[in-house]
Amino acid sequence: MSSTEQGTSSAAPAEPTTAPESAAAPEVPESFYYVHGKDKVVHKVSAGALQHSALIHGMISNLGYTEEQAKANPFPFENIDGDILQMVVDWCNQHKGKPTPPEDTNLPKQKEKLFDLVLAVNYLEIKELLTYCCKQVAMMVKGKSPEEIREIWMIPTDAEDEAAEKEAKKRAGKEAAGETAAAAGDAK
Amino acid sequence: MTSDIENLTEKTVNLSTDPIYKTNWCDMPEELKRECIGKMGFDERMLLRLTAKAERSLANSQSLMFHDGSFYIIGNHHYIDLTVDNGNDQRERKAKRNYKNPNDEFELMKYIWGVGVFENFLFFCDDPFFMEEVNYTGKIKAKNVDLVNCENGLLPKILQKMSNGVEAIKLSPDCNNLSEFPLDEILAIPQVQNSLYLQISNYDQADTLQKVAQVWINNNNSKIGFTFQLSTETHKLFNEFSKHFADRIVSESEKRVRIRTNNPDRHILLERGLDNVVTVDYHVQFFRLMVISAKMKESEYDDNCKEWISKMSSIYSFREWDNNRVQNVHVNENPENVANDEHVENREPIPEGIEDDDW
Repeated sequence: MSSTEQGTSSAAPAEPTTAPESAAAPEVPESFYYVHGKDKVVHKVSAGALQHSALIHGMISNLGYTEEQAKANPFPFENIDGDILQMVVDWCNQHKGKPTPPEDTNLPKQKEKLFDLVLAVNYLEIKELLTYCCKQVAMMVKGKSPEEIREIWMIPTDAEDEAAEKEAKKRAGKEAAGETAAAAGDAK
Repeated sequence: MTSDIENLTEKTVNLSTDPIYKTNWCDMPEELKRECIGKMGFDERMLLRLTAKAERSLANSQSLMFHDGSFYIIGNHHYIDLTVDNGNDQRERKAKRNYKNPNDEFELMKYIWGVGVFENFLFFCDDPFFMEEVNYTGKIKAKNVDLVNCENGLLPKILQKMSNGVEAIKLSPDCNNLSEFPLDEILAIPQVQNSLYLQISNYDQADTLQKVAQVWINNNNSKIGFTFQLSTETHKLFNEFSKHFADRIVSESEKRVRIRTNNPDRHILLERGLDNVVTVDYHVQFFRLMVISAKMKESEYDDNCKEWISKMSSIYSFREWDNNRVQNVHVNENPENVANDEHVENREPIPEGIEDDDW
């Protein structure tokens, strides 16, 4: 597990506690980086664990930060909720340096967070976790009727879709007319 | 009425156990929705397609692997049978439908053809206008294609619908109209020319072998290993072939004729497969025609014709003949080719009067 501590801001992150690493400690001292989400809680994560994220791995691969520099410059992911980032960091730590199993049993138990997790994982480009999450989403419709799927996933009916489309067209038309009128007024 | 209320209550109770999502399916970008649909099985995709047009269109865009896809159109009977690999070296039968409404059937078939990537695609149809009726504009992705007892005019139409990548094609001409079997048209289809194996069962035109060989000669760069197999009752084929290509013969024996092509690297080898292997009271003969390397030595010839004869789906054709003749067919040491009832049953298209919706 990573360590977390409430930070005050992304510019001045709070001092995180050291994460208890897995039993098989690497021979070479490992480098660590720091990330935080919308809630500014800073997570200290090893470079090994971050390798799962193609996005972060690409960002850190040529940085050559010292421990102090890394601590002073946590990566801000303002578009990811703190608890979701925590889940992602936990998963990366659990699967650090290990071959990823064909089926993951460590996916979040809070199902209502699954779609947020999918979006975050997709953004962070964590391929294996995305696969597991998508499988989990796919499993959600098993045994459900189309009506139930529509209800649970809040899928608008065709009629609702058409109404929304009409409304959007109407609004766009009004906006365009307003802009034309404003431009004509300016010209005068 | 009471049962309706009970059902509704049960549904509501079930729904209430589902969590409320702050972010939901509708907030996901299409690319992620597609990723999730890609992880769904056939049944789940079918259900999702029924929720809304937008979801249907997304589901239609994601391919799905099938081990077998068998489509039977016999009179008013429409029957689809699908199997998928479930990942544990086991196969699961997914659909067995017999729609009353042909439009529903066509829609389902078009969806399955559109998304399906078939290891084995079997099509059995006696309706010559089926392709016009179904009006399918896409391609069918399949590795092995088996067109069984299709109406002859339908064969080119189906083959043209195949996407590139077909490896093997098996054709069983409509026995009632053999003279109308469109061999020339079929041989000109790129999907056929680009495959590696073509088989025609029970076709009795004497010039079949030379027509296939001529296509390979004309196509100066035919793939080495391209194989054509034929079962026929016509006797003259072997001699006709030798006579036709007399000026190209490299070597000739009782069992084989080897001819040169215009490409110095390629030869064509014709082999008879009947002698000493199959004992029959009637005169069915098996032929194999192959594009071989011009460097291939005679010592490298495959003398075991049992194996390649067993690739011919002769069981089906035996069913077309009367029982007395069927009982007289024996393929030595190869029980797969024995046309007994048990084996015929494995490929039974549709039992009489079947009307099931059990998926």
